[in-house]
Amino acid sequence: MGGVDLDGLATIDTDVAVVGSGGAGLMCALHAAAADAQLDLTVISKGAVGRSGCTRMVQGGYNAVLSPGDSLDLHFQDTLVGGKYLNDQELAWTLVCDAPEVIRELETRVGCFFDRAPDGRIHQKAFAGQQFDRTVHRGDLTGIEIMGRLRDQMFRIGPRELEDVRALDVVFDADGELAGLTVLDTMTGAPALVRARVVVVATGGAATMYRIAAPAREKTGDGVAMCWRAGLELRDMEMMQFHPTGLLAGDSRMTGAVLEEGLRGAGAHLLNASGERYMARYDPEAMERATRDLVARAGYTEIMEGRGTPAGGVLIDISHLGVEEVERRFAGMVARTRQIGQDLARGPVEVSPTAHFHMGGAIIDRDCRTAIAGLLVAGEDAGGVHGGNRLGGNGVAESTVFGARAGDTAAGMARERPLRDPDPGQVAASIARAMGPLEREEGPLPFPITRALKDAMWTGCGVVRDRSGLLEAQARLDELTEQAQQTSVPGAAAANPSWQEALDLVNQLTVARVIVRSALARDESRGAHHRADHPQQDDERWLRFLAARRGPDGDAVLEPRPVAFTRRSPDGQLTEAVP
Amino acid sequence: MSEPSATHPGPRLRVRVHRSDPADREHFEVERFEPMTVLDVLLAVQREQDASIGFRFSCRVAMCGTCTVRMDGRTVLACQERIGPEVEALRIDPVAGLPVIRDLLVDTRPFWEEWARITPYLVPVEGLDEPARVPPDARERELIDPSLDCIGCGACWSSCGIADADRDFLGPAALTRAMVLIADSRDAAGEERLAATGAADGVDRCHYIYGCTAACPKGLDPAGAIRRLRSWRLHGRS
Repeated sequence: MGGVDLDGLATIDTDVAVVGSGGAGLMCALHAAAADAQLDLTVISKGAVGRSGCTRMVQGGYNAVLSPGDSLDLHFQDTLVGGKYLNDQELAWTLVCDAPEVIRELETRVGCFFDRAPDGRIHQKAFAGQQFDRTVHRGDLTGIEIMGRLRDQMFRIGPRELEDVRALDVVFDADGELAGLTVLDTMTGAPALVRARVVVVATGGAATMYRIAAPAREKTGDGVAMCWRAGLELRDMEMMQFHPTGLLAGDSRMTGAVLEEGLRGAGAHLLNASGERYMARYDPEAMERATRDLVARAGYTEIMEGRGTPAGGVLIDISHLGVEEVERRFAGMVARTRQIGQDLARGPVEVSPTAHFHMGGAIIDRDCRTAIAGLLVAGEDAGGVHGGNRLGGNGVAESTVFGARAGDTAAGMARERPLRDPDPGQVAASIARAMGPLEREEGPLPFPITRALKDAMWTGCGVVRDRSGLLEAQARLDELTEQAQQTSVPGAAAANPSWQEALDLVNQLTVARVIVRSALARDESRGAHHRADHPQQDDERWLRFLAARRGPDGDAVLEPRPVAFTRRSPDGQLTEAVP
Repeated sequence: MSEPSATHPGPRLRVRVHRSDPADREHFEVERFEPMTVLDVLLAVQREQDASIGFRFSCRVAMCGTCTVRMDGRTVLACQERIGPEVEALRIDPVAGLPVIRDLLVDTRPFWEEWARITPYLVPVEGLDEPARVPPDARERELIDPSLDCIGCGACWSSCGIADADRDFLGPAALTRAMVLIADSRDAAGEERLAATGAADGVDRCHYIYGCTAACPKGLDPAGAIRRLRSWRLHGRS
């Protein structure tokens, strides 16, 4: 098959293979090592370990109930109301219950030093959509502190780090049991096989598939696409969060970078081009502190209806707090705007909704187990925690809480599962697919196809959607998928970013197609999914989540399933005693 | 060549990129736009002219610390270095003091090997079960706060005449991390760390050229941290 030489293929045997080195991946490694110091752990990371992905980019902070005036139930309610009751309530409840524990662990074991209130306790700031100020932070660049310290923990526990190594596919043995992963060292260009008792997928989401997008370069849906190819069911794929305040910086890569939510929490105003605080027309009560879905849609509507700036944005203004106060509380954000010739401390800054976070992902239980024995999923690659919309501050909480749980589960599971030999045909096919762009003599470069994908998703499956736009996007994705199978890249195998982009593109398209299919199926508006042709939320028909699995022809087979209100029903009533 | 305007402030920008293979093209011209960073220049070259150039980036907002390069000799984060209207040509080289893998890609292992030597993780004091109560104006917080946001980008390493030469030196970043941990009342390994930073390859190697402090894209002051460590060694930590 494709001339792949399996005899010469390097093989690494490990107990637990963790794919991804953000908050979920490194918390997983840390917990697996704590549970069993004898475990052989391998962290596989497409980018630099601990310095790629999006936990690193967390600005605002981390929601956790730490104060006597707050309660787990309040945080839970906020998470369900924010998620429009589409959440898997067991996952959401797990998030809320574990978050304070993980904050304690981050402070007392991992070494994070979060900001303090005047009484010396951990300071918690205001975020949107929450009844209590519960967001733990380190200035306005919290991710550096969390990921820096987690990365440092790796020097203590010493897992095998496969840095700059891309995971290609989960592979199975002749009996269909999980056997490990195929991988590709992006620096040498050499493929390899990782045999593992347990595989944890924690690569992060796929929001980079939009023209204006916030995440780091690596986030191209690799984990979800891998799960999809392995046959796992996904859920809530239509739920893509747009953050309301992404920077607009022309053609610069800086465009789409988020100005953090704490600005709105601290009283920032959103203005249209004529200086009107337009949130008064969308949510007069919560105003700028409404949840991200509402605020993003309001901004988008202002822009689309011609009340935006010439560059296609709206304005965020916090300068009324005074230069000193803004510089003190939001130093990182001020620096970010000055970088592009604007100044948050002194006046309004142009922003646009920006694709930010994928609520959808693989179906898991509260211990990160999936339908495939030995395959765990944690963090943004999993779906269900946030339902139809994620609250600011629940993202890094999810990645660390569920990363930690995946590590605990993996350690136990590794004792029970033998190492297995993968089916050579699967291994060869996976590697042959990856080598394609390098080996094909002729074909398009990936870059214009990536650009076309971003345009298609922005236009057809963005902040506001309708059936005809979605159908157009779907047709366009079919074309682009064909083209992406034919890419050809110049240069050597070693350290070749265009080759890597060609492989990213295939994963982005795989995920994009399921997103568009799911968005077509949900003919109502809920959370981040807004259909102009079905603007109402339809609880009668759609208090259901969409499960998607790969059909025999490779296309998505969708099934709406009722949400189990195991703890709270949408009318706010308790269905089970919550402390 | 078009007239300068608001969106295209000048003619095309001439760029010279370090290439490992002498057969590879190293001179390029790219269309300018505003605002434009060194990272934007590299992406333009990659997307429009030579897809094979090797460079690294991730977050593009100065948080990952992986896009460090030298622009006209000065070490910068490619994502943060804006091309001013007066710039007509620029040269982009890999950071100094680290082995080049290809083009602008470097092997950062020597930097992290030094980092690992100062026990870079918290060694919790006995009984640390709850987050410590530390007022924001406490002395330790005043020492730690301005030194906390290190992103491991290696700009200080690249700009340090000692660290990037072929001799033993822990380097400015590792020493800053050591200072942060030694100042931290939650940590129990301060004495060992102080001894490690006071060894022959530690603080005394520093000649106070201040290249590190000048280069740090996060505004940290590694030279100040080194001075603090030296003073602790000579006069004790009280």
